[in-house]
Amino acid sequence: MDTVSLPMPANAPAPGTCVRVERPEPALAIVVFDPPHRSFPVFDAPLVRDLRTVVDTLRADKSLRGIVFTGRKPDQFLAGADIEGIGSITDPEVFRRACHELHDLFNTIAGLEARTVAAVGGPVPGGALELSLACDRIVATDDRSTRIGLPETQLGIIPGWGGSHRLPLRIGVPAALDAILTGRLFDARKAQKLGIIDRVTKPEYLVRIASDIAMGRMPCPRKTRGLKSVFVDRNPLALALIGRKARKGVDAKTRGKYPAPYEAIQLVLGAPSARHSTWATSEADAVAKLGVTPECKALVSIFFGNEKAKALGKGPDGERPAAVEHAAVVGAGTMGAGIASVLAQKGVRVRLADLSSEALGKALAGHRKDLSVKKSRRRIQAYEFDAAIDRLDAVPGTIGMGLCDFAIEAVAEVLEVKRKVLGALAQDMADDAILATNTSSLSVDAIAQDLPHPERVIGMHFFNPVPKMPLVEIIRGHATSDAVVTRTAALALRLGKTPVICRDVPGFLVNRLLGPYLDEAVRLFVGGVEPLRLDRVMLDFGMPMGPLALLDEVGIDIAGHAATSLHEGYGERMTPSDGLQRFLDDKRLGKKSGLGFYQHKGGKPELATDLDSFQRPSGVSSLGDDELVDRMVLAMFNEACRALGEGVVENPEALDLATVFGMGFAPFHGGLLRYGERRGLSTIVERLQALAKAPDVQGRNPGRFDPAPNLTQAAAGSGSFRSK
Amino acid sequence: MNPRNDGPPIVLAAGLRTPWARAGGAFQREDAGHLGARIARELLARTGLDPKYLNEVIAGCVGPPHDEANVARVMAIRAGVPDHVPARTVARNCASGIEAVTSAVASIQAGQGDLYLAIGVEVMSQYPLIYGPKMTQLFARLMSARSLGQRLGALASFRPSFLKPRVSLMEGLMDPTCGLLMGQTAEVIARDFSVTREEADQYATESHQRARRARDAGRFAREILPIHPLGRDGAALEHDDSIRDNQSVGALAKMRPYFEKPDGVVTVGNACGITDGASALIVTTQDRAEALGLKPLARIRSFAWAGLDPRRMGLGPVYATAKALDAAGCTLADIGAIELNEAFAVQVIACKRAFESRSFAQRELGRDQAVGELDLAKTNKNGGAIALGHPVGATGTRLLLTAAHELEVGDHELTLATLCIGGGQGGAVVLERMAR
Repeated sequence: MDTVSLPMPANAPAPGTCVRVERPEPALAIVVFDPPHRSFPVFDAPLVRDLRTVVDTLRADKSLRGIVFTGRKPDQFLAGADIEGIGSITDPEVFRRACHELHDLFNTIAGLEARTVAAVGGPVPGGALELSLACDRIVATDDRSTRIGLPETQLGIIPGWGGSHRLPLRIGVPAALDAILTGRLFDARKAQKLGIIDRVTKPEYLVRIASDIAMGRMPCPRKTRGLKSVFVDRNPLALALIGRKARKGVDAKTRGKYPAPYEAIQLVLGAPSARHSTWATSEADAVAKLGVTPECKALVSIFFGNEKAKALGKGPDGERPAAVEHAAVVGAGTMGAGIASVLAQKGVRVRLADLSSEALGKALAGHRKDLSVKKSRRRIQAYEFDAAIDRLDAVPGTIGMGLCDFAIEAVAEVLEVKRKVLGALAQDMADDAILATNTSSLSVDAIAQDLPHPERVIGMHFFNPVPKMPLVEIIRGHATSDAVVTRTAALALRLGKTPVICRDVPGFLVNRLLGPYLDEAVRLFVGGVEPLRLDRVMLDFGMPMGPLALLDEVGIDIAGHAATSLHEGYGERMTPSDGLQRFLDDKRLGKKSGLGFYQHKGGKPELATDLDSFQRPSGVSSLGDDELVDRMVLAMFNEACRALGEGVVENPEALDLATVFGMGFAPFHGGLLRYGERRGLSTIVERLQALAKAPDVQGRNPGRFDPAPNLTQAAAGSGSFRSK
Repeated sequence: MNPRNDGPPIVLAAGLRTPWARAGGAFQREDAGHLGARIARELLARTGLDPKYLNEVIAGCVGPPHDEANVARVMAIRAGVPDHVPARTVARNCASGIEAVTSAVASIQAGQGDLYLAIGVEVMSQYPLIYGPKMTQLFARLMSARSLGQRLGALASFRPSFLKPRVSLMEGLMDPTCGLLMGQTAEVIARDFSVTREEADQYATESHQRARRARDAGRFAREILPIHPLGRDGAALEHDDSIRDNQSVGALAKMRPYFEKPDGVVTVGNACGITDGASALIVTTQDRAEALGLKPLARIRSFAWAGLDPRRMGLGPVYATAKALDAAGCTLADIGAIELNEAFAVQVIACKRAFESRSFAQRELGRDQAVGELDLAKTNKNGGAIALGHPVGATGTRLLLTAAHELEVGDHELTLATLCIGGGQGGAVVLERMAR
């Protein structure tokens, strides 16, 4: 087979340039992946083409005793399949052909007479590991950058180049199933413990050790599963049990919204008994089926959105801003404490200031507990634990902040208080130290006003709970400089968060969109829709929790406060329902007060028993599930179109990313705008127009359901917000 | 007359300490490396001193944790001091904190540098229990056993008595050269100077009352950083926690002698407690302090170390003070306020008598006249170790910090910090007010 089935990129280099063969000794070949057109090598068409040629040549060379496959550097092996390719392929046959081609290539490698060793390091995901699995031994560097695994299910497909078979055969069905379903990338030690790799060494010794093993000069025994392979992997009863448990787990986690995990389970369970000749067909069929699903395309688009977000932390020429070393966090409430802890855990020294010794004590206790859990789970070592403890200092008041190069305030949402705090910090700190506000409802410009050097004032909006929520909205004020935006985005990325840059508008992006969504939910509830039904339809839609449960989580008071400021900012289309006033009067604030829509008494929250007393039936309870979903989701969608039209975020990808990471908007939809585009923008325009005319909608929130101008325009035009 | 006046004036530029906490209490889950680093970080942050300019970090600690060898380096790194700044741990028993400061002074005088961070730290709660030699030998035999038989043989030699631990705290308080516990040395000088139980209890009560008044008047607030201790959630420890607000002579009189039963005079009540704490000072030249924008607390006028009979170690302050006063070119009467560490009430009283005794001066100090009157009204005005506690390695830095603050509070020209040192030594530092 000499035709390459993957699409050939335009900048493909000349044949023979992507894979190099070195012969340090007569019987040893070292195959180096070094494509000139890629800063990080991937399995694209040119590389596959050249690897094929190399492998065929090596097969013919009978003088060879050992072959090592390695990258151009110890921390650069291969990054697996070309994901851009996966996103762009629409023909299942292309997927099928590519799988067969790679199976054939890897089978050739597995069949080489010489002893083959994969010498890997850095990221070794997907196809890179599948190639390695076809070798006789795998040696990896123990560097921190080494991450090994099969993440395909996270992109809506399955390991299709032999991984779904070779991994279970190597490490057993249960471990392989776990690795493939979670898509986890393991560090070298863990990978060795699981039996994925055979040997760990230092980066400097990688090629030498791999060569010695390939030449048989150094023993490298493989871990065997022994009797387990008989009693577990080849025991139909055990496999049935494992399969049932795995399917149940996937059901619970995804509510059946993603097809890939089920395909993966089937393949992995069948691997021990499958005939080698069927491997390629079964994997190729699954990939062909999954690769063209909208779920796969949506997940790929989120992946790329996230990759794009990573570029925000670098300057226009790729230059990295100075790393933040010493941060001042003012306000030790839930948000401030969370931000301080995450900063300290990611290597930033933090001075956390508050006037309340109790709040400081609570913040430190939370930090220490979090770290203790990580230490007991061996996620961090004792010295890292000690260092992270020592990086967070509790300070009674904003004193001694002069040496900090970054400050973030998380004090009460009162303009004057925030300005006072930042003003005091500005006096102490250097002129180029960043002053960030974690406000959710105040204007960054208003806060920045009259502060010296307003170009270093910026909004950095974290979501609650800070350690878990992956999104950070970075709010750029009028005066904020590009350098400050970049440095703040770099900090967010260092904290493991995805930054989205927003303009300084009321509610920024996520809260602005949640406003109409939650308000519609409240109105439906007040109008008589069963609360459990409301939450269920949104769970079925793919949200991580129902709107009423979300209100409890956020706090009814906080949500009310946000709604009021949206109303002030945008007028009548944001007028909130007054249906929850009595909640507020009774200090019934949700999870934090123990009672909201649900009773929170530890364990699973139960629905409150007196909710019907808040309802004034208006006939909406007779609406169908789809209608309920549309009211909530399309109100939000329409607002998203407006925000996009106003340039609140730079592009539709950023908006989609923010909805997925900021509100958990179903990843299989690929984000809010993508959901609408897939459903058809003209359908949505029609639905909005119909909703606007609904009897109980008329007379309230004028404009909420009137299709945004850019929506009507896009519906009439390309049907998409994206320029091709 | 004082050769040290030739060099550049050396100052204590700033200082801070943790509250002193009773051992086994608030700081029982701390360790020296964390507690000392915390106070060092805060001092650096509050002074705005970029630690990259430091010439060295010097820490005094009597019982450094076994897993934090050269605890000064551990604290320096944890305090954010950059790698290029070296660090050393120094020890002179109870004066280790002052030793850290005088080591810095000596380094500056030797022209090695001009900016030092001195730390005194002690977490006595964490002093370990250790296995005796028999158990240690058993472990050694087990480790080297090659066969099952050897292993069983080693195990068979085990006796339950092997498990009796050696208490490193108690053994540390024993002077191995004279076989006396520190408390027993206090009994020796109580007998030498006829100090009575009543006098000792009276002195101890006064120490608590002075400490309480100082705390309530906020006089410690300037030197204490509230600490949220490791292993204890919730509120911070804001004050020294062994001050007894209602201490009375009557209550103390009921206690039994601890070291010499039945006729001794030293009780747990009129001795200092076992305590945890850390304190840090910035030692630099006056010029450098000004260049860094720091407002120094005090100038170091002179210091002295002296040795004496280990069985009478409590009298160390008399020997050292005499030398330090000579070096400073002044007399005890010139000193406005004195911090004389209260290891034991009887020891302070014995010191007073020795200071004022002409025959003692002639016999022991080779001087014609008594050193001078030790006015208890100006000695330990904010209470002392009997009320506050005595975290051995940290006490010295605390004495200097308090003595430095007293220059300002009492509008004095000179103050003195002095202490006795287990093993038979004394240390003394004369501080001078900064020119206004």
